Amino acid sequence: MLENLAMGFGVALSLTNLAYCLLGVTLGTLIGVLPGVGPLVTIAMLLPITFGLDPTAALIMLAGIYYGAQYGGSTTAILVNLPGETASVVTCIDGYQMARKGRAGPALAISAIGSFFAGCVGTLLIATFGPLLGEWALEFGAAEYFSLMLMGLVSAAVLAHGDMVKSLAMVVLGLLVGLVGADVNSGIDRFTFDVLELTDGIGFTVMAVGIFAVAEIVTNLEHRESREVFSREVGRLMPSREELVASIKPIIRGTGVGAFFGMLPGTGPSISAFSAYMLEKKIARDPDRFGRGAIEGVAAPEASNNAAAQTAFIPTLTLGIPGSATMALVLGALIIQGIQPGPQVMSSNPELFWGLIASMWIGNAMLVALNLPMVGLWVRLLTVPYRWLFPSIVMFCALGNYSLNNSPVDVYLCAGMGVLGYVLAKLECPPAPLILGYVLGPLMEENLRRALIISRGDPAVFVERPISLAFLVATALILAVMILPAMRRAKGEAGD
Amino acid sequence: MPRLRRVRGTVSRTGLVMRTPALQSKDVLAGLLFLFVGGIAFYTALDYSFGTVARMGPGFFPRVLAVVLMLFGLVTLARGLVSRDPVHGRWGWAPLALLVVAITAFGYLMERAGMIPALVVLFVTSAWAGHEFRMREVVVLTAVMCLMATAVFVWGLGLPYRLFVVPG
Amino acid sequence: MKGPISLLRRLGVAVAAFAAISLSAHAYPDKPIRLIVPFPPGGSNDIVGRLVAAKLGEVLGQQIIIENKPGAGGTVGTAAAARAEPDGYTLLVASVAYAYAPALRKLKYDPVKDFVTVGTMGTGPVAMSVNPEVPVASVQELVDYIKANPGKLTYSTAGIGSFQHLSSELFRSMTGADMIHVPFKGGGPAMQSTIAGETNVNIGTLVQQIPQIQAGRLKVLGVGSSERNGALPDVPTIDEAGVPGYLASNWWGILAPTGTPEAIVDQVSEALAKVVESDDIKKALSDQGAAAMKMNPAEFAAFMTAEMEKWAKVVKDAGIEPN
Repeated sequence: MLENLAMGFGVALSLTNLAYCLLGVTLGTLIGVLPGVGPLVTIAMLLPITFGLDPTAALIMLAGIYYGAQYGGSTTAILVNLPGETASVVTCIDGYQMARKGRAGPALAISAIGSFFAGCVGTLLIATFGPLLGEWALEFGAAEYFSLMLMGLVSAAVLAHGDMVKSLAMVVLGLLVGLVGADVNSGIDRFTFDVLELTDGIGFTVMAVGIFAVAEIVTNLEHRESREVFSREVGRLMPSREELVASIKPIIRGTGVGAFFGMLPGTGPSISAFSAYMLEKKIARDPDRFGRGAIEGVAAPEASNNAAAQTAFIPTLTLGIPGSATMALVLGALIIQGIQPGPQVMSSNPELFWGLIASMWIGNAMLVALNLPMVGLWVRLLTVPYRWLFPSIVMFCALGNYSLNNSPVDVYLCAGMGVLGYVLAKLECPPAPLILGYVLGPLMEENLRRALIISRGDPAVFVERPISLAFLVATALILAVMILPAMRRAKGEAGD
Repeated sequence: MPRLRRVRGTVSRTGLVMRTPALQSKDVLAGLLFLFVGGIAFYTALDYSFGTVARMGPGFFPRVLAVVLMLFGLVTLARGLVSRDPVHGRWGWAPLALLVVAITAFGYLMERAGMIPALVVLFVTSAWAGHEFRMREVVVLTAVMCLMATAVFVWGLGLPYRLFVVPG
Repeated sequence: MKGPISLLRRLGVAVAAFAAISLSAHAYPDKPIRLIVPFPPGGSNDIVGRLVAAKLGEVLGQQIIIENKPGAGGTVGTAAAARAEPDGYTLLVASVAYAYAPALRKLKYDPVKDFVTVGTMGTGPVAMSVNPEVPVASVQELVDYIKANPGKLTYSTAGIGSFQHLSSELFRSMTGADMIHVPFKGGGPAMQSTIAGETNVNIGTLVQQIPQIQAGRLKVLGVGSSERNGALPDVPTIDEAGVPGYLASNWWGILAPTGTPEAIVDQVSEALAKVVESDDIKKALSDQGAAAMKMNPAEFAAFMTAEMEKWAKVVKDAGIEPN
């Protein structure tokens, strides 16, 4: 492992890759601090830029963008109570209160330090367990993939906060959108309505940009802009000794929670941040301080969402299974680069795998260096009026989509997805399950049908193979844990 | 004891709680949307052979999914009819339409007129969707961003975009 | 250092351009040429197209810009090229997919009337490999094994209507082999599944298989070209090893929209021939498991007609339903 890490650092420390890492981190932060623009949209927008690079450099840059956007999101969450992404919603609660009390500096610093610590641990975890998980995943055939994807989809739908029926419906809707295009098993075009460009399906960037970015802009344009920018005084930058001591344990606990959730497909940074926050509140001696500027309330979720952001790469890289919509984008980028994500990535592209891991750590270090001294600048970016900002975002959306296939049809589709995304947002249907269903759906069908072809039509193949059986049992357990209490509640209500 | 049913809705000027009309309830609308999409998907998928469970045809998955989506649609619709939670805030149809026009026009003009005309139309149309439209600002913003796009995408990344297409 | 050489070459080009100017009012080419590649970046069409375009641009004295327009088995980009102005400034990379597309799907262009042939660039064969646990050592043994155990083996391909699929169907129709088809999305996962033993036989592109063959993870039985491949000289052709007459190789050429002035087609064709014969292109292609192939417009046209007939018959015999 040390040898591998050394090789990774060798790759990552090459001048060009360092430059791409820095570029990614900077761009990511720059766009991450923009209101309402999180890692997903940032990656979607910047994705085409990486196409010209070689796969390692492209992935390193994407990872940099990802972390940068996360940091940027935390910055705006603390300074202006405006989360750049769902994962930093929790940071708003106590971070913004700290800023209002003139402690924005310590809040930002603790957030950076916590994230950096979590990033280091996450990197080590990937280096240690990534290959193990990958080895194990070599056993995966069509039956295992199907059962694993089923589990991912079910847990994504149940664990997502919000309305469960709607979440499940969105998963199904995503599955249907994913079916558009030529069917792998029969070669028949489905849902293409004789549009030639739809034969290869609806592109991921088309979906992500339409559903998230375009819909978000329209939502913002519904009402007049009113934003309180708290740039007057960032105050003292470094936290006091007491603040540091108070943060150590929450950072460690947050890292643990985040690392665990990050590895599970379908959970990701937002849930881990919420869980870490709830944990701190539960074990705190005086829970009342939370929501009024408790530094633990910043330290734990920030460490947690960064650890999760890091470990989310484990299933993505070693199994080829994206844990979140953002990871799905990273996966898509890999495929576009001609790399088949999956267990073989580690053996067939070791320099890519280990180079990426090393650059994760370097990227985290760069972020600390970049973020702390430049807070003042980021805040000034926020004062750019929205009326200048949003047409520029629209430009990136349109150009980015066109550049994928040099196809105007993709641009039209993106506009259509924008309409769908906006309507769904208004009806409070969560977009994340839709994206997951869209990504996993075609793979799930393909593997289900392939498994049945190979087993000559015998469905027992799913329970006869132990790994597949384990996933199916886990899926049933997740469903039971989530549904039973709900049923009991319903029964209770009907009874009184 | 009869339970008091919580009724959600808008408070009218007279202070009475009015039930949200069905077609303004978010769950009713979401349910109808799911039913509609599921219905279209099912109807379209009738053209694809269904196969058997052991040897699934290309129509198996779409039809099963379409039916499941319609079921979820029915549940959502029913819950919406009971709870009548209204759609939050107002609909932004005007900005939505303008953005769609801006993006679509960009795609249409990219090959026929070139990148710069396409971007000019995109900026002017989408800026129109905002609350304040200041001509001078839009002109400056368009010029700056066109230059940036050309520098980044055409000169920097070497993408094969023609800045202007001369007809003929 | 190749500085002086390329300077000389540029000088030569300048002289040629000057001569051209004196011959006609409009010297072709006086602006960059668009070469449409109807497949995504990174595929064989793209790699070969870029290799050749760089050199061809030097010879013609103009930059050639690659424009990837992927979609629907190459037919989206091809349709775009068919609609382009036939002025010699839009050219198209065509491959074997162009020849079999008419048999597989409805087209938005006429594959015979909408394009004229310019010349070919190269050709690259398929290779037939099995999982090392399959108890056969040659193509003949595989044919015999399948005859003795009908329906027992599965074969993986890059998907319905892919060239790998058609090559496999050609093998099946020539030998009557009874195997079960397991389609994948792309050649990579298909090959992976054969390596893992989930499927037994893989007919894939040679380029992709070479590293796995060398690592011993795939047992190669034969290549689909008419001659043995330089990268694997010990491996027989499928034709000599048990299926006489079997030939399945991909190829890449350049087409121009019909209406392009004949003088321009000839000018590009001659330049292309020079490029294809150069040593660096030959070497670059053999690194890709392929070989350079030179044809003039008439030869290419005859070859194209033959290929279209051959693969249309394979599609028909295999009973693949056109979309």
